[in-house]
Amino acid sequence: MQSRVFPVLIALAIVITAGCTDPPTQQIQEAENALKEAQESGASTYSPDEYAKLEGTLDTIRKEVSEQDGKFALFRDYGKAQQLSLSAKSESERIKIATAQKKEEGKVAAMQAQQVAEEAVKAAQRLVAKAPVGKDRAAVEAIKNDVEGLQALLKQVQDSIDKQDYPAAQTQAKAIHDMSQGVQTEIQNALAKVGRGKPSRSSRQ
Amino acid sequence: MLLRQVHRTLTVALVGFCISGCVQAVPPDLLAALESIDQDLIALRAPETAPEEYGAFVRQWIALKSRVEFDDDVIRWPWETSELENELRGLYLRGERTVAQLHDRHASRQRTAQSKVESIEDRFHLMRSHVGSIEGRIVLGERVVQTDLLVKQARTFFEQKDYQRAIQVADEANQALVNQTSLLAQELGRYADGKRIASWQAMAQQAIDWSRTHQSPAIVVSKAERELTLYNNGRKVLSYPVRLGFNGIREKQFQGDGATPEGRYRVTDKRGPGQTQFYRALVLNYPNAEDRRRFDLAKKTGQIALGKGIGGLIEIHGVENEYAQQTLGCVMLDNPNMAALFERVSVGTPITIVGALTEQNAVALALSELAHHNRQEI
Repeated sequence: MQSRVFPVLIALAIVITAGCTDPPTQQIQEAENALKEAQESGASTYSPDEYAKLEGTLDTIRKEVSEQDGKFALFRDYGKAQQLSLSAKSESERIKIATAQKKEEGKVAAMQAQQVAEEAVKAAQRLVAKAPVGKDRAAVEAIKNDVEGLQALLKQVQDSIDKQDYPAAQTQAKAIHDMSQGVQTEIQNALAKVGRGKPSRSSRQ
Repeated sequence: MLLRQVHRTLTVALVGFCISGCVQAVPPDLLAALESIDQDLIALRAPETAPEEYGAFVRQWIALKSRVEFDDDVIRWPWETSELENELRGLYLRGERTVAQLHDRHASRQRTAQSKVESIEDRFHLMRSHVGSIEGRIVLGERVVQTDLLVKQARTFFEQKDYQRAIQVADEANQALVNQTSLLAQELGRYADGKRIASWQAMAQQAIDWSRTHQSPAIVVSKAERELTLYNNGRKVLSYPVRLGFNGIREKQFQGDGATPEGRYRVTDKRGPGQTQFYRALVLNYPNAEDRRRFDLAKKTGQIALGKGIGGLIEIHGVENEYAQQTLGCVMLDNPNMAALFERVSVGTPITIVGALTEQNAVALALSELAHHNRQEI
């Protein structure tokens, strides 16, 4: 009796063990999807080191699965791949959230800088509008040209924001702000020299 | 009894030896050193600037770290060699080399960025200064502020230690400066054109000859030299500095362009006190027949928009406001000089306005210097 039961128990143990050694395909797929989502959210730009580590983790998982696949079924153990997959998934989700936060901070900072630059350009435009007419306007003609240029440059800031290149948007806005202030000083000096809005009696040319 | 004691002692010694002989497969300080290498690479912005090198390091680092965390071979006998430790040591050495290489590359990139940013700032200031000195700012239009933006952006990226973007933006600014120099050469190249200068010299000489022949005054204005010269009986009587239109360096094309016309004119009216807002004024017969012919042709060929007028009321006048630097296209003299000139000319006096009278004129020199700096940079 005992001699019959023993092989059956062994066969059962093999079946049970073999049944537990399937690769954690679903968990790996979930980890890959989570990493893809993190990448699409901009993680490779905003958290490049953490993103690279997650790619490394996925690489390790694939190698581990491949290694286990190469073993005799009885000796396969996908526990490590499973644990790494779970950790990669949760880490990807964390980085995705952190990236969204960093992006939002960058966007807010860029939009604030854009607003400050717009105000500075408007102030320069208001000063240009006070410039003299007639022959005296020649004194501010070149400056007016610069103010029109600054107004056009504001579009570049918006383009950078639209492209989510917030560092570029910030540096552009800062430069426009600085230039607008320089132009304002120049206009004020010119206005102080030529007087304000004196109409010309002869203005063809 | 003694034998039993010896056995017990030997057993205890063996067990003690075995326990004390078990060592960790990976020394913690090696792991800490690798963590430190990773931090160094991050500090050098390797994930952004050298993604391949960083990716290679990180893939191995993560794989080995997971073996440290999961593998069973973390405990070994002292006489056993640890493959894992060897691999970690190998990675550490490679990581150290990568850090050193990236550090050198980083320092080199920093030097390149610094040199490019400083160079572009210098060249931009030089361009502004030259363009300002020849009053050619309007010629470049909005391009000046666009380039200024790039120059400032390059500086900000450099200060933020983003050397890659600083170099990239400085290169864009450099290209913008090259384009602007080309535009200036295209628009103002006639000031450096020997044939054109010879023709202006001939026009001026004809005015001088006319003055000699007719024993009368004649005026020659050179735009590049910013100078008005009065001749009488063919001899130079006086010479005064002048100010031109805000776009005076260009050839006049249409009303409101701020350019000062070039050509042969005559005084059609003298306006004294109470007749002009500009102290004294000599009205020119602009547009003359040649100006009209040129204007009509430019309109026909679409060079001038249909709605534009040819303009008029070009004068040589004094200063209404002592601080006014430019006119809308007229020639302006300081009032004492204007008074002296006004006394010496009459209606009908010829006035010849030319671009330049010498090949070494201010505009030609500025263009040559800007082109020279561009060549050096390229």
